[in-house]
Amino acid sequence: MHEAKLCLSLIDLAETHLRRAGGERIAAMRLEVGDLCGVIPEALEAAFPICASGTRAENAALHIYRTQGRNLVLRDMEIV
Amino acid sequence: MCTTCGCGEPDLPAGTVTHHTHPPDTRRIRVERSILEENDRHAEALRKSLAERGIEAIGLLGGPGAGKTTLLEATLARLGSEAASQAAVEGDCAGDRDARRVAARGARVVQVVTGAVCHLDAHLVGHALEDLDLAGVTRLWIENVGNLVCPAPFACGETRRVVLVSTAEGDDKPEKYPAMIAAADLLVITKIDLLPHVDFEPDRCTAAARVVRPDLPVFRLSARTGEGMDAWLRWLGESPGEGRA
Repeated sequence: MHEAKLCLSLIDLAETHLRRAGGERIAAMRLEVGDLCGVIPEALEAAFPICASGTRAENAALHIYRTQGRNLVLRDMEIV
Repeated sequence: MCTTCGCGEPDLPAGTVTHHTHPPDTRRIRVERSILEENDRHAEALRKSLAERGIEAIGLLGGPGAGKTTLLEATLARLGSEAASQAAVEGDCAGDRDARRVAARGARVVQVVTGAVCHLDAHLVGHALEDLDLAGVTRLWIENVGNLVCPAPFACGETRRVVLVSTAEGDDKPEKYPAMIAAADLLVITKIDLLPHVDFEPDRCTAAARVVRPDLPVFRLSARTGEGMDAWLRWLGESPGEGRA
């Protein structure tokens, strides 16, 4: 269950970019999960609401799309 | 990319009437950053600082019971007095059994107890090394928590990563755990002395690994009997004749 830890990294990264862009909160984020990155998308989805609670990503929609390879990349976000 | 609004979502099939919508007051920002990058940054810094001290770091990864510690013990035994130039970080959920086993073979060891955490990461290893005197050390072994899944994405500062699959586990492991194979520089099939007693076909194991990594070197050995250890020592850059058996 390393996905919870990765979720925290995801939220850290997202909040950093939110601050840089001068935004208030994150409405949605789009995450690329490669089939060889060692992460189970369903476990990320399960961990996300708990990890996001109390952060600027609370209630954000997490859109995961799967690709081939080892990428685990936050592509973009919708912010308010 | 969606050609209707340019938002990066895939296009809807032709003939779809309704398009997706965006809340009116949101804006899209591009990030394009890996969520592993903080760990990758720690790992790279660690690898660099070890390299500057002339230390190569070898990661040992595999499921519980794959034979990681036993291979390390046998390697240290073959290195003889050179074992003193080896250091090890031992990752386990509980206890210091592995650290004691490896220390008994003459290496300097620090045990990292991860508790419920299923893998080591670069940050943990970096802090563990604060408790280890690395003067005179030429090789650092990083033995990860026994797990074929979770350690894969987390670089720990290794120069090279070795994944172990034992004949007792089954030859289908590379097929079932491709992310770990993708992160490997070498696959070692361990416990080949058990081959007469188990349904394990080394060729099938190798073939499954090479579906993921066509160029992956694969060794077969038994730390218990010593068969295949020479090729392993050569891969490490050691002369198999050195030290004592």
